[in-house]
Amino acid sequence: MSNIWIVCEQADVAAQLLTPALELAAGKPVYAITVGAENASKVAALGASKVWQLNLQDGRPESAVKVIADTIKEQGASVVLFGATPRGRGIAATVAALLDAGMASEVSAIKAAADGVEAQRYIIGGVAVSTLAFSGLSCVTVTPNTFAAPEAAASAGEIVAVDVPADSRVTVVETAPVVSEGVDLAAAPRVVCVGRGVEKQEDLAMVQELCAAFGAEIACSRGIAEDLKWLPLERYIGISGVKVKADVHISLGVSGQVQHVAGIRDAKTIIAVDTNENAPIFAAADYGIVGNLYDVVPALTKALKG
Amino acid sequence: MPNIIVCYKWVMDDQDIKVNPSTLELTTAGAKYKISEYDKNALEIGVQLKEAHGGSLQVLSFGGTNLKNSLKDILSRGADAAFWLADAAADNADAAATAKVLAAAVKKMDPADLILCGDGSADLYSQQVAQRLAVLLDLPVIDNVESLRFENGAWIASRQLRDCVETVSVAGPAVISVLPGIAKARIPGMKQILAAGKKPQNALSLADLGMSADDVQPAAKTLSVKGASQQRKNVIIKENSAEASVAALMASLKADGVL
Repeated sequence: MSNIWIVCEQADVAAQLLTPALELAAGKPVYAITVGAENASKVAALGASKVWQLNLQDGRPESAVKVIADTIKEQGASVVLFGATPRGRGIAATVAALLDAGMASEVSAIKAAADGVEAQRYIIGGVAVSTLAFSGLSCVTVTPNTFAAPEAAASAGEIVAVDVPADSRVTVVETAPVVSEGVDLAAAPRVVCVGRGVEKQEDLAMVQELCAAFGAEIACSRGIAEDLKWLPLERYIGISGVKVKADVHISLGVSGQVQHVAGIRDAKTIIAVDTNENAPIFAAADYGIVGNLYDVVPALTKALKG
Repeated sequence: MPNIIVCYKWVMDDQDIKVNPSTLELTTAGAKYKISEYDKNALEIGVQLKEAHGGSLQVLSFGGTNLKNSLKDILSRGADAAFWLADAAADNADAAATAKVLAAAVKKMDPADLILCGDGSADLYSQQVAQRLAVLLDLPVIDNVESLRFENGAWIASRQLRDCVETVSVAGPAVISVLPGIAKARIPGMKQILAAGKKPQNALSLADLGMSADDVQPAAKTLSVKGASQQRKNVIIKENSAEASVAALMASLKADGVL
């Protein structure tokens, strides 16, 4: 296909988008829009033929939505791939509206079709997969870590700098960095995930011991991170959180609502522990131990150490 | 005193949607409907803002022919009045079409200082309506909002962006989409449920908005909707002791070559 675009404010995710973009383009040029000189040169080195480098006056990528839409409109586009980062999801929807284009959010697969693209995405909290056919211009968002970044291209693409004026309607009052532990749960080969079945924050020590014995990263359900704040947000699994791809995923006291299960469906082997035999997590698991996690976790830790 | 509009979606309860494991067809017969959970949180922060600052709070929805069934529930949760547009075309509407209808309806309502949306709908979870609505109404949009207050006539919103929390201020009217953690939805009491029946329910039609079913066709053609196949072993282990269950698990994992 011709006129394939990628748009992402983060270099790592922009690089991942290049993989499906280059595949859709099948030899034709891919155009990219990103933020800042450093990101632009990275994207240009990985196969984008031409990169628009946004220089943001107010530091907010959201202020660039009109510039992004105008650039795409001026050059022509068939498909625009956006990174589904927290900022990117909103930027994508705004740009799609400015272009009066349809959009498929967080697709699990995308391919070229007769006069547009065919995209698949999970709906109803991951219960079903919907296959959509777009004709004409379409926008698509892709969850980070869905694709691996491509190898460096033979020659670097051209970079064009564009100044983006501030959005006078929105003023940044404060930016408080969230101290990241730098954990990449999506790439962790072993994950142990805790839910509401864990009664007290102190009890996470017992789970950490299991993680140490198993060489696993600790993760949690949304409620543990968002409501109870026992673990940082970067460790919660679900449709709006991290989607894990672990070889082994152990779920402890997680009931398994559809929104959570959507985040573990790509794990290879799923083990669930819960007291309630009817908990939906067991339907999503390969092995389910019906039992009290306070008995099972120490026994499992011991068995793994032995 | 701000006028607030909260948008909501009336969705099929996902607990009632079953997948036939052999054909992967979805069975929705007899499924109950509910207010999309994410929208309950948006309504709750709207109610809290109204309780703190006065003004008005109206709810707005575009939904299928059974949308009327949502009115008592939504009005028992603190809104003053409902505007609702029930049309069979909503069943196939995408976020772009929904935003077009909502934008046209907003123009018929009292001028809004704030339009609140949930983070996404419980069924499609496209996370697009707030942004598209903002474009159509030419308003700024603030999304991923985890806390929101009204100060000196401006909306102060904190956005959860994983690597940082960005707090922004918007002086004029805005569309704001909020994360579910922003406010826990209250459970309406008997008094609120009884009072809900007496609140204004303003029915709208596409014709009232100068639109027809042709204006709300989705951009994409849906080729199929299939149950997501979860090929899992579903082996339940329930031995007499935790040690025995763990031993059985370890034996299975070793046999599978996982450990």
